[in-house]
Amino acid sequence: MSKNRTQGGWLIALVGVLLVSAAPAIADDPLVYATIQPAQITLGESARFTITNLGDGAAPITMPVVSGLQFEIVAHTHQIELINGTTLPSSSIVVRVTPQMAGIFSIPGVTPKSPPLVLQVNAPPGSAGAPRPSKSPAPIPPPILAGGSIPKGVHLTEDGSAYVRLGVPKREVYVGEIVPVEIEVGMRSGFVTQFNGPPKLTGDDFTLNNSLLREPERSERVIDGQAFVLLTWHSAFSVVKPGSFPLSAEVPLRVKIRTQPRQESALDDKFGDPFWQNIFGPSVRKDINVESPSQELKVLELPAEGRPADFHGAIGTFAIESDVSPVKADAGDPLTLTMRVVGSGNFDRVDSTMLDHVEQWKTYPPKSTFKANDPMGHKGEKVFEQPLIASKPGAQTLPALSFSYFDPNTRRYQTAHTSPLSVTISPSLADSTLAAPQLAASAVSAAANKLADGLKPDHAAAESFVSSLTPPYLQSRFLAIPSLLALAFAGGWAGVRRRSHPAERVFARNRTASKMNQRLLAQMEAAARDGNPAVFFIAARAALQQSLAARWQLAPDEVTAAEVQARLSGDDDIQQVFALADESKYSGRDLNSTDFARWMRAVRQRLAAEQAR
Amino acid sequence: MKNCAQLAALAAVSLALIAAPVHAEPAPGFSAAGLYNLANAYARQGKPGMAVLNYERASLLSPNDPDIDANLSYVRAAVHLPAPSRSTFDRMVRIASPYALSWIGVIGLVIVGVSVLAAQLASRRRWFHRLGMLFGISMLSLPLANGIALWPILQEGVVITGATPVRVSPVPMGDPLFVLPEAETVKIAVEHEGFLLIQTGAGRTGWASRSNVAPVVPRK
Repeated sequence: MSKNRTQGGWLIALVGVLLVSAAPAIADDPLVYATIQPAQITLGESARFTITNLGDGAAPITMPVVSGLQFEIVAHTHQIELINGTTLPSSSIVVRVTPQMAGIFSIPGVTPKSPPLVLQVNAPPGSAGAPRPSKSPAPIPPPILAGGSIPKGVHLTEDGSAYVRLGVPKREVYVGEIVPVEIEVGMRSGFVTQFNGPPKLTGDDFTLNNSLLREPERSERVIDGQAFVLLTWHSAFSVVKPGSFPLSAEVPLRVKIRTQPRQESALDDKFGDPFWQNIFGPSVRKDINVESPSQELKVLELPAEGRPADFHGAIGTFAIESDVSPVKADAGDPLTLTMRVVGSGNFDRVDSTMLDHVEQWKTYPPKSTFKANDPMGHKGEKVFEQPLIASKPGAQTLPALSFSYFDPNTRRYQTAHTSPLSVTISPSLADSTLAAPQLAASAVSAAANKLADGLKPDHAAAESFVSSLTPPYLQSRFLAIPSLLALAFAGGWAGVRRRSHPAERVFARNRTASKMNQRLLAQMEAAARDGNPAVFFIAARAALQQSLAARWQLAPDEVTAAEVQARLSGDDDIQQVFALADESKYSGRDLNSTDFARWMRAVRQRLAAEQAR
Repeated sequence: MKNCAQLAALAAVSLALIAAPVHAEPAPGFSAAGLYNLANAYARQGKPGMAVLNYERASLLSPNDPDIDANLSYVRAAVHLPAPSRSTFDRMVRIASPYALSWIGVIGLVIVGVSVLAAQLASRRRWFHRLGMLFGISMLSLPLANGIALWPILQEGVVITGATPVRVSPVPMGDPLFVLPEAETVKIAVEHEGFLLIQTGAGRTGWASRSNVAPVVPRK
């Protein structure tokens, strides 16, 4: 009895210690968890999946959806649990899980922070494979939980909670090349609670396409005896300058770190389920950045040597094929020449002018469409469609197409070629009137296209063609015409001006002087009416200066009183006009109306005499 | 008068020498009717981008063709894009094709030159020479005004593929800013490494791949 009491006391003490140690974990952990029992069944059996809500709050619960598993709610239960002396209401949802095929299934967590669960379904003895539902489509094969080890060169974090592996091509890359990249994050089940951000590449020399980081592939793997959840992102980056760059990936995570030594938590590990490990293992949360081992990436410039003339910057591995449709058409009808470029690489730089100029064909610029075969657009097919119009009937051959690209694997420029295509062009009924394309008879059904309704009809072809859509007045060749004409006229004008007759020059000068004299005489008359001698004599002198300067081949300013006195010694009136002009201006001498009339007459006579010469 | 005759002969010879290669193009390139019919064919094939592009090109050669304007408006309306609007100035200065206006300008230049020379040689009837100069300058100003009206169109491009991504930088993996609908007309600012810096009518800018946007006037 004494021994039994002692054992019972130890048991009570152990339970008490467990409850006390579990208290902080319960306070920290999500109030919703899920269990599955048994974790391993045979096909034809069902497992019990229980979602428990430890609290009276309504946590958001998502019923998992797993391809190949059927979930059926069978019961809702409510109970009161006693934990560390505290009563906690709890509710549970019991779900029956029925597998439809053998395999290992990963059941995602019921809340965003819950860890996934694993259900292993064995095929019945003697069965070759898993039965498949007859009417439903084939389910996606579940991820395989296989044994393995940490990838070579990759290290776990110190607490063993996670690792990051960066997968890039093991070769030099080239400027402008789209480099596919794989970022794998391995997280030990129950240790990583959340992501604090998307994965990113360290360093400023790379541009990772963040739009491709939303949907990682998810799988589970047992690595070194521990269950790991693997998330794998597929993305791509490009480099814009050559050089050698360190490259690594970094993922910010929030992890649980146990606060007691590892050897003391061995009991927790015996439970096998990460959830129970966290319940009974006191832990704290910590934000960490998990980084992959750094790799050296060498980026090279594209070689200048051997670069084909039609190279547009495509880097990758490509193949091309072409066809033309229809192979029989009337002259003037449009044909569509199609070139398909398939492969992997930077399809944004895959470009082609296809056929530029072909004898007896009218070619138009091609249009391209791209269909990606992966989310990154690294693999796919780019289709170029070029409208062609044959101008003459008969059996004709379209030349082979070519496409040049740089193959980073062989490190050489490559040029892919297609085969020449044969078409038969029949004479058009409208040949006599149509020189331009009669495109209405396109192979595409016009009735099926709503754009076809309501269009104005085609025009009869014009015979006037232009070589460029740029207006001629902006073309240098055309601008030479007005430039030369302008030069010719300018030269002609200068020559004519130089050779013009002296008599005409005199006539022109006299005409100018005459006009000026008329204006000055009118000014004199107005001054006489106003009784303003200063203005009168200044105008009179100016008129005489203009007239005499023309005769004496002088500038009007050079015709002064002294010059007049020297040259016109016999004409006292004119000399006096010059003297009175100065005198009236500076002395303000008063002249009566009789004086004005006299001087007006004298000036008119002199001007008339000068004009008569 | 002898000088006049010599100058006229010189001008005629120069004109002939320069104009000869212009008309001696071995292969015809574009015609308004051909582009219009091609645009119609694209429209019937359900390719509004290429249709609008070729209507715009046809409109450059034949600016007053009502069928081109009607079909251009129709196709744009079918893809829920606003119809193009022309200002009064635009309508006035696009009374003829740029080709016709270019030669009108050359004729105007000849009239101005001859008037100036005639005024220099003969001093009588100056009003007649001035009238000639005024007329010539008016003709000369037509291609100038046409160039002012056409200049924005010459910088435009048309989106020829559906849902064209416009990126923040001219690199294939540049983050997308927005998506352009097919047949949208955009202004092309510069070209760089196979990408075009474009500006939409709403003022948004970004880089689009050259294979997705075709300039209205093909660039060499």
